[in-house]
Amino acid sequence: MKILIIEDEFEILLSIKKYLVGYDFVIETAATLKTAIEKIELYSYDCIVLDLGLKDGDGFDLLKKLKNKNRIEGIIIISAKNTLETKIEGLTLGADDYLTKPFHLSELMVRIQALVRRKQFSGNNVIIFNEIEIDTFLKTVRVKGNKLELTKKEMDLLLFLIGNKNKILSRSVIAEHLSGDMADMLDNYDFVYAHIKNLKKKIKEMGGTNYLKSIYGTGYKWNEET
Amino acid sequence: MEQAINGMKKHKLLEQTIKFYFIYSILVVVIIGPLFYIMSNVLYEKDANEDLYATKKQFETIQSSKLKLKDINQWNKFNRNASILPFNGNHEDNLFDHNYYDAINKEYEPYRVLNSPVKIDNHLFTFSTKINMVEKENLLGCIAILFATLLLLLILGFLLITQFISKKLWQPFYATLEKMEQFEVGNFFLMSEIECKTEEFHRLNLVVDKLISKNNLIFKSQREFIENAAHELQTPIAIFRVKIENILQNKDLNSEQFNLINELYGTISRLVKLNKSLLVLSKIDSKTYTLTDKVNINEVILNQIDFFCEQATSKNNVITSELFDNVTINSNLILIEVLISNLFLNTINHNKTNGEIQIILNKQKLVFMNSGIDKPLQKEKMFERFSKSNPSSQGNGLGLSIIKKIVDTNQWAISYYYKNSLHTFEITF
Repeated sequence: MKILIIEDEFEILLSIKKYLVGYDFVIETAATLKTAIEKIELYSYDCIVLDLGLKDGDGFDLLKKLKNKNRIEGIIIISAKNTLETKIEGLTLGADDYLTKPFHLSELMVRIQALVRRKQFSGNNVIIFNEIEIDTFLKTVRVKGNKLELTKKEMDLLLFLIGNKNKILSRSVIAEHLSGDMADMLDNYDFVYAHIKNLKKKIKEMGGTNYLKSIYGTGYKWNEET
Repeated sequence: MEQAINGMKKHKLLEQTIKFYFIYSILVVVIIGPLFYIMSNVLYEKDANEDLYATKKQFETIQSSKLKLKDINQWNKFNRNASILPFNGNHEDNLFDHNYYDAINKEYEPYRVLNSPVKIDNHLFTFSTKINMVEKENLLGCIAILFATLLLLLILGFLLITQFISKKLWQPFYATLEKMEQFEVGNFFLMSEIECKTEEFHRLNLVVDKLISKNNLIFKSQREFIENAAHELQTPIAIFRVKIENILQNKDLNSEQFNLINELYGTISRLVKLNKSLLVLSKIDSKTYTLTDKVNINEVILNQIDFFCEQATSKNNVITSELFDNVTINSNLILIEVLISNLFLNTINHNKTNGEIQIILNKQKLVFMNSGIDKPLQKEKMFERFSKSNPSSQGNGLGLSIIKKIVDTNQWAISYYYKNSLHTFEITF
């Protein structure tokens, strides 16, 4: 998967790149609107991560350009602007998703994966992780062919964990991911523990391996090697 | 209307003016009244005396020389108010008051009498002439009535004129006063648009305008500063957060290091929340949210209740709700969502383990009740920014001020009370 990250804040650009390395991504970066347009004209990407406030122009201009050319790249806006108007404008101009800064890298990761799935396979995609199969369209999970009955939250949690495989996720990140729009309101992350426990139990009951490791009591990691 | 301000009774301007007029009028009556009476009395008496002397002079010059002794009885018969009496021994003119019996009116009447010596046929006689003074009393009575009427008319006039003045002349002043009472920082209107013909009031309006615009300017720049600061903080916070997230991935971290960095990560989340809350507050201040949505409050609550039930469960809190169907209100959906979630969060965060939460919604009010510490909270500062009942809590002390701000923006009212061991926040629409 080819990804273009357009972001003028060098440190953020670097951090995103660093976090995404080691997954099935080929990562290109652009710090200005000019380089971004050049790259888009030369190559095609599966996903573009676009910061709206660039030094030499507005990210919206790029969106308009892409829309006029009927390009099919998935676009995720990352912006410090948190108004409904900006979100709506971005989405009507052809962006597929909108993340407000400051965001979690793990969140950006699963958003990119979900977007690429939607764009490339029309959402009809099966994620396979060893003996676990997740059909993101039918919303079903099978372990060694046996169907797993998961709640919506557990399903979401599983996708988040596998999407960020081999990464250490703190309980607060998981909590904020599971809470969606309500994330700002959280003060207590204890509920994550209950969901993790249930998910582990259900996978174990179907004979699945326990890939989920607890890290020093406050973090979790979906580990490829057991 | 009287109002007690600072413990002292304050009177209306109009009342005070009338009070002074009234005192002055009374003073005038008390001083001028008797003076007027005395003066009239003196004048009338002087007049009577002159009349009497004139009669005497007329008698002396025209009649006394022609009269004979034998005519005196005859003369006395035909003159009612004058008579020639035997000489009483007084060689001087003598003026005095005396009551005589009046045969016609059958009562004693006051008279002014002049006795003077005259010579008739070389014999001394006393010429006595008198004037009925009953008319003087009538006249004085008349004057007193006139005087009282005049005074009454004057006071009535004062009253009406002051009322007129207050209504017409002071009207711009009261209009200014009313506008100033309604004034809230951030609201823009011009006092000088109030129509007024009085120079002083116009000046007052101009000065008030100047003060208001200065205030608004300060308020605006403060608001913009908060908004800009919050905005500018987003990027460094974002960098901080992604860097820490990457450090957490470091495989060489030991338990202590990991937990330290993880705590930092949690602190960043608090910073993010604080920043977002400040942005929400300044956005409400700058009236970014229009209150034109039709918001179904039931729906907003039901959308959030699952999430907060989950949060409450970890504290073993039980949420019970009593929601009237279809409470729809003209407001702003985003604001109502923020309001409800902050209310929920407040009831959960300040609750105790195994506590309870009650929600009541009907057409008039929305009530959130929760158990918690066993004494009422301090009301004075609870809605102020960054005021925390428990300084060590994770909250940022902005929740209640956001709630208050949203309530104020919608022109609702919020009250807090502690009843049956429940902390209650009641919003009346």
